[in-house]
Amino acid sequence: MSNEELLIFVRKNVVAVSCAVLIIVICVAMYYRKDLLPDAEKVLADKTKQGELLAANKEDANQLKEQYAQLVSENDAIASRMIHVGQLAENMQYFYKIESETGTKLSDPHQGSAAAPPKGQKPNFVSVGFTVSAKGDYGQLLNLLRKLENGDHYSRINTLRLTPTGEFRGGLMQMNVGMDLLAVQSE
Amino acid sequence: MALSLTKKSDAAAVTVPPWHPNIRNASILPDTKVVRTAFFVNGFAIVLTVSLAMYLGIQEWKLLEVDKQINYWQKRIDADTKESAQDVALYQLFKAQEAKTNEVDNFIHSRPVVSEMLLRLGAITPKKIAFDSLDFREGSVSIKATIKGAPDRAAGDASGYEKLIKNDKELGPLFSEVNLLSMVTNQTSGRLQIEILCLYKKGVRKA
Repeated sequence: MSNEELLIFVRKNVVAVSCAVLIIVICVAMYYRKDLLPDAEKVLADKTKQGELLAANKEDANQLKEQYAQLVSENDAIASRMIHVGQLAENMQYFYKIESETGTKLSDPHQGSAAAPPKGQKPNFVSVGFTVSAKGDYGQLLNLLRKLENGDHYSRINTLRLTPTGEFRGGLMQMNVGMDLLAVQSE
Repeated sequence: MALSLTKKSDAAAVTVPPWHPNIRNASILPDTKVVRTAFFVNGFAIVLTVSLAMYLGIQEWKLLEVDKQINYWQKRIDADTKESAQDVALYQLFKAQEAKTNEVDNFIHSRPVVSEMLLRLGAITPKKIAFDSLDFREGSVSIKATIKGAPDRAAGDASGYEKLIKNDKELGPLFSEVNLLSMVTNQTSGRLQIEILCLYKKGVRKA
């Protein structure tokens, strides 16, 4: 087919030929752009997820500043109730103060060593063991125990042995207490 | 003359010689065909082109919309990133502070409040039972006591006391087991001495 014949064919079938050319152009465009939409949708999904996460962070942190400030002030109050591991005299003073308040007689209050933290953990506080022996009547000893449990420092009673010292009931009793106080390491 | 049953055909007419010369130029005469093949070809081509163009257009429009949304989210991300990073950093600090509080809370509640247990034991123990010693250990409580009265009745009282501790609304939930370990008659006083061992439940948060 010569050029002239081709030209005549095109002129004779101008609509069909134009459509054929357009179809080819459209198909080429579709071929080269077929991945754009799925890719864009993937990007949109990622962006949406990221955006929603950031928005959620913002929303969740709505009152975070106030809560953080509150928590810091509470932890300051907690810190003021801690003993210091190295301040042996002050720590003993605590027990003697309770002794005088309760009217009991303490013998040999003793500070043990600080408990080693569990492996792999770095706790903020350490527990320090104390052993205390006290003599007094039941009421005095109960008072002493309650002061130890609910005193200025955080404590937990590990062991307690309560026995009468005399033959007659209602008399003096002996109380041996093994307990922990929560402490911060002295700087 | 018999009638012919056949119609005069066009062929027959053609056989008749024209009465004047045919001088028509067929190529320039108007088309007498009502619908030409080209109409269908053009129609099909146009429909196919329009359909494909519409499909491509819809895809492009969708792409444009998705791009708009990507831009929207990107702007939000850009706007929120700094603030979010600050919030995350603050949350880390918050968690560190919270860990301190939890540590103290766990420490306090890791053991029972002995004074309250002591008071409760005193409240529920019958008058005929007198404590010889109370021994609170890390995993258990040992109660040694003497029961007043004749040994035969005292044995029943001891068993009742064991059940009383087991079923007590405050002490009962703390213990997994409450066992009467021993019952011995004191040779001097003639009274029954008992030992009850109460084992703490594991993992129970202490009040």
